[in-house]
Amino acid sequence: MHLVQLREEVGTGPAAVQAAQKGALVRLLTCGSVDDGKSTLIGRLLWDGAGVTEDQRAAVTLASHNRAVNGEKIDFSLLLDGLQAEREQGITIDIAWRYFETQDRRFIIIDSPGHEQYTRNMATGASHADIAILLVDARHGAKRQTRRHAAICNLVGIKKVVLAVNKMDAVNWSEARYREIERDFRVMAGSFSFAQVTTIPVAALTGDNVVYRSAAMPWYAGPTLLDYLEAVDPEAEQEDAPFRMPVQLVLRAAGDFRGYAGTVTSGRIGVGERIVDARSGLGATLRRIATMDGDLASASKGDAVTLVLDTDLDISRGAVLSEVPRRPINADVIEARLVWLSEAPFDPEAGYLLRTATDLTPVTSMSVSALVDFETLASAPAHACNVNDIADCRILLGRAAAIDLFSDLPLTGNFVLVSAIDGATVAGGVITWAQAGAPEVGDNVLVLDRALLARGLCSDLGDSPADLAEFNRRAQEVAVLLRSVGVPVLIEI
Amino acid sequence: MTQLTSHLKLLEAESIHIFREAAAQFRAPVLLYSIGKDSTVLLHLARKAFWPAKLPFPLLHVDTTWKFHDMIAFRDKTVRELGLDLIVHTNHDGLARNINPFDHPPSVYTDVMKTVALRQALDAGGFDAAFGGARRDEEASRAKERVFSFRAAGHRWEPRRQRPEMWQLLNGRLGKGETVRVFPLSNWTEGDVWRYIALEKLDVVPLYFADMRPVVTRNGQLIVVDDERMRLEPGETPVMRKVRFRTLGCWPLTAAIESDAADLDAVVEETLAAKVSERAGRLIDHDQAGAMEMKKREGYF
Repeated sequence: MHLVQLREEVGTGPAAVQAAQKGALVRLLTCGSVDDGKSTLIGRLLWDGAGVTEDQRAAVTLASHNRAVNGEKIDFSLLLDGLQAEREQGITIDIAWRYFETQDRRFIIIDSPGHEQYTRNMATGASHADIAILLVDARHGAKRQTRRHAAICNLVGIKKVVLAVNKMDAVNWSEARYREIERDFRVMAGSFSFAQVTTIPVAALTGDNVVYRSAAMPWYAGPTLLDYLEAVDPEAEQEDAPFRMPVQLVLRAAGDFRGYAGTVTSGRIGVGERIVDARSGLGATLRRIATMDGDLASASKGDAVTLVLDTDLDISRGAVLSEVPRRPINADVIEARLVWLSEAPFDPEAGYLLRTATDLTPVTSMSVSALVDFETLASAPAHACNVNDIADCRILLGRAAAIDLFSDLPLTGNFVLVSAIDGATVAGGVITWAQAGAPEVGDNVLVLDRALLARGLCSDLGDSPADLAEFNRRAQEVAVLLRSVGVPVLIEI
Repeated sequence: MTQLTSHLKLLEAESIHIFREAAAQFRAPVLLYSIGKDSTVLLHLARKAFWPAKLPFPLLHVDTTWKFHDMIAFRDKTVRELGLDLIVHTNHDGLARNINPFDHPPSVYTDVMKTVALRQALDAGGFDAAFGGARRDEEASRAKERVFSFRAAGHRWEPRRQRPEMWQLLNGRLGKGETVRVFPLSNWTEGDVWRYIALEKLDVVPLYFADMRPVVTRNGQLIVVDDERMRLEPGETPVMRKVRFRTLGCWPLTAAIESDAADLDAVVEETLAAKVSERAGRLIDHDQAGAMEMKKREGYF
């Protein structure tokens, strides 16, 4: 009987679905430094919030007694640490995904590792979250890794952050200590673009203020963690965002069917409205929105649809379909802030590809201009970039790609950088500035050729292998310096 | 009883996005079809992703020869009705050696008839990507899995070297010798799968619904006798009991549960109220500690 009602509720078209969906699915990240209690907090949330089945409870209870890290207490982190290496070492290496639901909401919990060496896994997790719970140990306050995690949450676009001040039991439930950490954190959060910062004093091990209100902290009048999660609005997008749909595939079927399959990444579009392909500038009218459940009159953000146009635009995967007035930038120079994920450091000579929504574009040249300092959270000039660094960089593309600024439209303004050699994902980033129509070769591009360099800078060098190596090194360094101030450079030696 | 369904459309769209990304980026994908409820949802989502075009990849069923008869009948009916391209593969070497779930421990049987068989079929077809219906809520090592799960040469999973996967961006560029397992149902739960089956009115194997079936009880688990190959211990006699399955695998290794849930609504109710996890009925997962992770490292799903 329930199901019949629900079918009606969900089956009345995309607008109704959107309304019903608002806040129906909340993606939640836990992060913070190692040993501040992330897995324990989530374990406690699941344990008290009924996200744990009886056989899992029995297995964890048994394993806890064998390990006896908390004496006779349950080791909640065992609910999360699913890899053998993690259980053996008692640490979290990779993100764990857990699921639970309350009366009105389905939660996806992403538990991330605290160790610096696994920051890349944390960044992976953070990019999927609407809300971050950042943990600190009440005894120690924010650490370097706490700041790094906050910076990554900010980078990937998380707008709502909860600071969970954990292990309040270890500071005698002291309000003064809590207020001190809260104050420090609000100062730090000021350097980020979070829309909402909430702080909650908790003790994950005993469950205080996680699901149940703490009797030990009567001075705290705010919500418990679960209260907060049930009430928070995870939506980040503004109401009238421009329409975008990156094309994933062109579908062809019987009866001359030709449709562009993709997921709407922002805004909405209706049948009869004009659409433009951002890269070619060609326009068409939307004739059908085809789905297996029947045609739709309109499609909005999050809908996976197939668009049929009145004229054939001759476009393929990688194109971004847009509304006419507010189009993407057809950029071939971008500036971006990225988190470096690869063990191999950034190498200006390595081949990279830029993977945006559905496009893959060769990188002609790339340079790093600054790194974020995790002590001060300020940027300092730099040219190298290593694993787990957050860097500002400038990227020249081999051809134009249709993109947006991340601050305007996150899903067409983000990217990953891919190694052209082995396909590995080496960095994830957000576009902070973009320019259309960068010069072709011969048009403002400085070509560093052998003759040019041999005349002056390298006039002291001969033909020996050592001299040739030094010649190359100087050429690269000059290119790096020039690129870092925005001069497009090609090396031809 | 909560009957939350408004998030299902979001999960559906996410899965369709994953199917399309994989189909666009891989040369030769295949859909691992194991006939159960997750495969039913997986197949339905694949059809939605490419409609009105036909599925741009075949289905693959690894037949251990120990699937319930009802499952094989359901598989053949589905393939016929939807006009699908199905490859059935059995490890004939294992069959010739008579590897079976009575004479061999579950770990050996699973390795030979499922894991090795799967590797054989993937290699024979030259597939570079295989869609699977695995969900992260099933088991602790699955909870660590990416959507695009890269496998080194020989189909090995290296959990410590997983590729970062940021936002909605799925990087399908393969390194030398690499293949990938694709999991469009990663963020679905068992409850979601059943609610979706009810919402979309999908047919599932009748074994999921309670009925009178011949059952023996072993180590507290209810084993349904599917054919004459069942070996009864001394003193064991199958008795008719009203049971159903939460999960379907090979028949003597998948336990049934006592239940009166004879239709979809009842199954949804029962699933959402369940006090034990789904995999409690999978005997192969309890054989060794960290059993699933070990199987996955060897190339199992």
